[in-house]
Amino acid sequence: MNGPLIVQSDKTLLLEVDHEQAADCRRAIAPFAELERAPEHIHTYRVTPLGLWNARAAGHDAEQVVDALVEYSRYPVPHALLVDIAETMDRYGRLTLSKHPAHGLVLTTTDRPVLEEVLKSKRIAPLVGARIDPDTVAVHPSERGQIKQTLLKLGWPAEDLAGYVDGEAHPIELAEDGWALRPYQKQAVENFWHGGSGVVVLPCGAGKTLVGAGAMAQARSTTLILVTNTVSARQWKHELVKRTSLTEDEIGEYSGTRKEIRPVTIATYQVLTTRRKGVYPHLELFDSRDWGLIVYDEVHLLPAPVFKFTADLQARRRLGLTATLVREDGRESDVFSLIGPKRFDAPWKEIEAQGYIAPADCVEVRVNLTDSERLAYATAETEEKYRFCATTDTKRKVTEAIVRRFAGQQILVIGQYIDQLDELGEHLGAPVIKGETSNAQREKLFESFRQGEISVLVVSKVANFSIDLPEATVAIQVSGTFGSRQEEAQRLGRVLRPKADGHQAHFYSVVARDTLDQDFAAHRQRFLAEQGYAYRIMDADEVLAEEG
Amino acid sequence: MSTEEKSAAPRSLAEALRVRDDVSLAALLRSRPDLITPVPTDLTQLATRAGTRASVVRALERLDRFALQTAEALAVAPDPASYGELLALMGGDEEDPAVAAALPRAVALLREQALVWGADDRLRLVRTARELLAPSPQHPSPTGLGPTVREATAGMSPGRIQEILAAVGLPSTHDSVSAVAALGALFADRRRTAALLAGLPAESREVLDRLVWGPPYGQVTHDPAAHLRALLDRGLLLPTAPGTVVLPREVALHLRAGRAHRVPEPVPPPVEAAATHRPQVVDATAAGQALAALATVEELLKEWDEGGPSVLRAGGLSVRDLKRTAVALDVSEPVAAFWLELAYGAGLIASDGEADERYAATPAYDEWRELPPAERWARLAGAWLTATRTPGVVGGRDAKDRTLSALGPNLDRSAAPEVRHRVLALLAGLPEGASPVEGSLLARLRWERPLRGAQQQRETGTGEARDDDLRSRIARWTLSEAELLGVTGRGALAAPGRALIGAPEAPRPAEREAEPEGPGAKLPVHHHRTPPVLVAPTPAERAAATATAARLLAPLFPEPLDHVLLQADLTAVAPGPLERELADVLGVLADVESKGGATVYRFTPGSVRRALDAGRSAADLHAFLARHSRTPVPQPLTYLIDDVARRHGRLRVGAASAYVRCDDDATLDEILADKRAAALGLRRLAPTVLAAQADPAALLEGLRAIGFAPAAESAAGDVLIARADSHRTPPRAAPEPVPDGPPAPDDTLLAAAIRAVRAGDLAATTPRKPGPGGPGSGADGDGAGAPGGTLPRTGAAETLATMQAAVLTGEALWIGYVNAEGAASQRVIAPIRVEGGFVTAYDHTADEVRTYPLHRVTGVAELADDAG
Repeated sequence: MNGPLIVQSDKTLLLEVDHEQAADCRRAIAPFAELERAPEHIHTYRVTPLGLWNARAAGHDAEQVVDALVEYSRYPVPHALLVDIAETMDRYGRLTLSKHPAHGLVLTTTDRPVLEEVLKSKRIAPLVGARIDPDTVAVHPSERGQIKQTLLKLGWPAEDLAGYVDGEAHPIELAEDGWALRPYQKQAVENFWHGGSGVVVLPCGAGKTLVGAGAMAQARSTTLILVTNTVSARQWKHELVKRTSLTEDEIGEYSGTRKEIRPVTIATYQVLTTRRKGVYPHLELFDSRDWGLIVYDEVHLLPAPVFKFTADLQARRRLGLTATLVREDGRESDVFSLIGPKRFDAPWKEIEAQGYIAPADCVEVRVNLTDSERLAYATAETEEKYRFCATTDTKRKVTEAIVRRFAGQQILVIGQYIDQLDELGEHLGAPVIKGETSNAQREKLFESFRQGEISVLVVSKVANFSIDLPEATVAIQVSGTFGSRQEEAQRLGRVLRPKADGHQAHFYSVVARDTLDQDFAAHRQRFLAEQGYAYRIMDADEVLAEEG
Repeated sequence: MSTEEKSAAPRSLAEALRVRDDVSLAALLRSRPDLITPVPTDLTQLATRAGTRASVVRALERLDRFALQTAEALAVAPDPASYGELLALMGGDEEDPAVAAALPRAVALLREQALVWGADDRLRLVRTARELLAPSPQHPSPTGLGPTVREATAGMSPGRIQEILAAVGLPSTHDSVSAVAALGALFADRRRTAALLAGLPAESREVLDRLVWGPPYGQVTHDPAAHLRALLDRGLLLPTAPGTVVLPREVALHLRAGRAHRVPEPVPPPVEAAATHRPQVVDATAAGQALAALATVEELLKEWDEGGPSVLRAGGLSVRDLKRTAVALDVSEPVAAFWLELAYGAGLIASDGEADERYAATPAYDEWRELPPAERWARLAGAWLTATRTPGVVGGRDAKDRTLSALGPNLDRSAAPEVRHRVLALLAGLPEGASPVEGSLLARLRWERPLRGAQQQRETGTGEARDDDLRSRIARWTLSEAELLGVTGRGALAAPGRALIGAPEAPRPAEREAEPEGPGAKLPVHHHRTPPVLVAPTPAERAAATATAARLLAPLFPEPLDHVLLQADLTAVAPGPLERELADVLGVLADVESKGGATVYRFTPGSVRRALDAGRSAADLHAFLARHSRTPVPQPLTYLIDDVARRHGRLRVGAASAYVRCDDDATLDEILADKRAAALGLRRLAPTVLAAQADPAALLEGLRAIGFAPAAESAAGDVLIARADSHRTPPRAAPEPVPDGPPAPDDTLLAAAIRAVRAGDLAATTPRKPGPGGPGSGADGDGAGAPGGTLPRTGAAETLATMQAAVLTGEALWIGYVNAEGAASQRVIAPIRVEGGFVTAYDHTADEVRTYPLHRVTGVAELADDAG
């Protein structure tokens, strides 16, 4: 026994990456274990019931799982854990959702007591209809998502054999002229298509849009794409026109300003969740066409109401795209149960190693508060504390120093607080993009940044997502949304697109020492640190001295 | 066994016992230890005690199923019964070879246990056992048989009996006794009864079929239907009470083809193997689990290091504290209860006995911690094996509906050690590396020790074999606990676990190769097989077994590592168990995030601060990490340590018992300069403040002694900081197992007891040469009913001479003795030395060397020559 894997009693698996069998082992455990952390030496996977059930759904049985663990494990695997795995996997498939020729959607069981147990649940009762026979009960078709989600919570996941509707066919081809899907993108599309529905996790800059395009080319049907904001919608459109056989006319935009419904329609979450007089007026979009595929961009941001709508769309293929499936609200499991299990996941460092994203140098710069600032910080109201320390004056000096240091390169300064950004913009002589900036103005600024006409751009959190700034090589974060891990990852993603000259990317996070800012920063960095991005820590004095 | 051959058939149990040899008596006493607490004076008393209800019930409860079935069959057989009759009852008319093969062993076992005595032609069940097992309306027999014709017709009018005789075609007789006998004989005759039954309508036979396997009682209306009337007329059903009829035993036996039991179970059900793993895998898994067990116990104790949860007033741990412990250990509550009880049973935790009672580690814990891992485990496993406390019942309710709390009272289940040992022994009987099918294991245990009530249910077929009885539950707990503890791995007994129960290293081929041949074997069973009754190992044997287990386990533990892997996400991974010192330091410097084969640590500002608090400097920590890391120390970690160290210690907190405040600096200077003040431990904190280590009273005293006139200040300003210290109970003994009944005696005790009984018996029963003084009329203090019953009387000179002669010849003497209270007794002694008016002798009656003043010896007599 000298395998690369250590099975912990809390069901985490530690994989020693430098071990010669590490790659084999990774392949063996990937179907059922979630990669949780991927720092430099030891990667951590976690075995969860959801992961085990997904493995069952993908055709793996308990024996394979146990074999994989036992074979690669360095130490004997606790018997209780093996038993638990077998028992958990055994729970899957006792209940099946399927189409009945006469009764429509039905829930059937191979184990009557299980059916009796779940039917007793108060949460299941309103979702089911008449009992057809002792082993079968009718389910209202619109409750397909809801009942799956509830059964999952009850610990009796249903196998969904009811299938998908094909939707209205529409020819879509990838236009691979001079470019091709990268191997991992192909793999992601394949995994997704094979699984029917699910989530693909790829680092920022790794080309998630193309995975979406690839999936559409597979589906060859009308597609609804849900994105976070209008700028992002435009970029999707731009990218689809460029990369597929679709033309401008075939792609509609459904947003606050435009309400086009075309074979491929790109809608924003915001417009879908607009409420007027207690109703969602734009919900009909889901029914406006016979969509064959629904793509959820940035699925980690999926607003709660969309979960509810999604529950009603279980008969359509669903593809979720994200860089970081960490939700600060902990609703990851809802994403998995409603959109589908994770179908593809690649550690950031692996993609980096393949050269598809730029290597990044992450630096946390710690600035000291002055004595008067410290006193003011200590006496500040609790809710003001973070704002106070995040916008300290010293940060400005450091930011300026960094900007000077990378003069000539494309630099993004990202922050949370408008006052701070305005002030920075003023001192750096750079334009500021914030919530009130019009879309036209934004696109204009982005374009001139792309062209290199301006080299420094100060952006608020409105630019957090899906703005495509290919030539940004340095990002300086001066403040953020408290401890949001995915925001940090998204921001790093701004600089990860591979540089034409193979330049290294730089990501600076300026943090006020010994304050809340530092605590939040530690939390924010956790995801990236777990992805193998090692932050260096520098003192502000060093940065300022380097300059001197 | 020369005595057996020459003696005639014994006429009582006492006589039967008297002719048994020492080995055979030892076997009896070993399996029924209650018989020698206290040691009976002679065999008659032993026999009487063996016939008491409590003792018989105890013995019956400890029989295996087939022996019990045999006893039950004997209880429905004529008394005495011949071996042949018994065999017929057990095997039925068509003989069952398995029964025939197993019966001699069962009979021998019953004989050994003194439940059955008499030769094969006259087997007698001890009367109490017969009363317990024989059917009666209140206690239906497990056999489902009813009373005999004779018993059932006891209250019947002679006329009615004669009518029945007529109905079945027998000639009438003069009296009821012979009539009943004739009827009984008829029913016992298969051929004639068959003819009788053949003449009945089918409905009637159906009625009989319903009653045949019991319960044998049925209800009839006042005016029974014709088919019932036919049965009643022929005596095939006999009335017992108005409206109730019973199927007489003879008829039932006829219908059952002679079998007393529907399903005789002569062969113990085998324990089936569910899966077989390679022994190495089993041992490694068990060792891994053993290591985890140690870690868990240590973690628990660490959690409680500065004082554990408080003790409930009724004793034990509150449900909330159990929950909290379960969360802390990251296990379920029953498992947490197991760990708690394990630590408690091993004497590692106890209540501290203070006014505000709390649980805490005992001093024994500190010793235990110093042991090598394998020995630490052996201590735990040894304590677990013999404990009567059963964590499995925690959370349940006792007879008074009080919740049973962990570490609380009423958790003792006396059967636990024996069941535990038996379960492991059965596992040891499987091939190496095989895990058992739980059901078959439980079935085997039930066969070995059937519950008398449960069995009846089985036999009447009214229910599935139930396995929620206490023994089965204990067995199931044993299986899961053994796995947790690492006694088993992947369900199979591992080598250390095997050693723990003292089983041989590899399973023996077959346990039961030598069966007694034929029915005539009178040899007590212990000559043939390992007794099912557990022979409790002596403490010495147990210590040897645990030592062997520890020795076997030690090499299975992975070598402790001296390095960890540090990562930039501020974690450290120890890919295996760490050396003690490294683990201790790391445990302070970082928080444990995940446990198992490896340990994942996370460095946080809090954890680094903890290390600095523990007196380490940042440089120490850097050096420590650099020394133990295989890879370069990540920059963020270095930074973290420096950053925390930078702020550490800027504020200073110290402990002072008292202070001196004075507006005049000069006075304080004066005090500090005074040599006499040195004992007060004064230190200047500020120009006008001195801190003192002495308490305020001593400080006042001291300052006054120097010549100052200090005044005490109110306590509000006083700073008292006590250092948190490891909290320990006073020395505490681990809880003793609480067995029901006396402990199984060891060989020494058994031999001594037998000698004592025999000697007493000798004293009570041997014919004696008439002593020179002749039988006196002295008080008879001996209640053993010795023949003669009087004390020997001889003159002092005679006594002395006889004693001295006996010292030379080494002969035993029979003496009369009056003790200081004036109670007279008879004793058999072998004098060793006579001097100074005392005789020092081996007293056979008391089984020890005693010294008697000669003047209290009433007289002495030699033992008759044939006393053997």
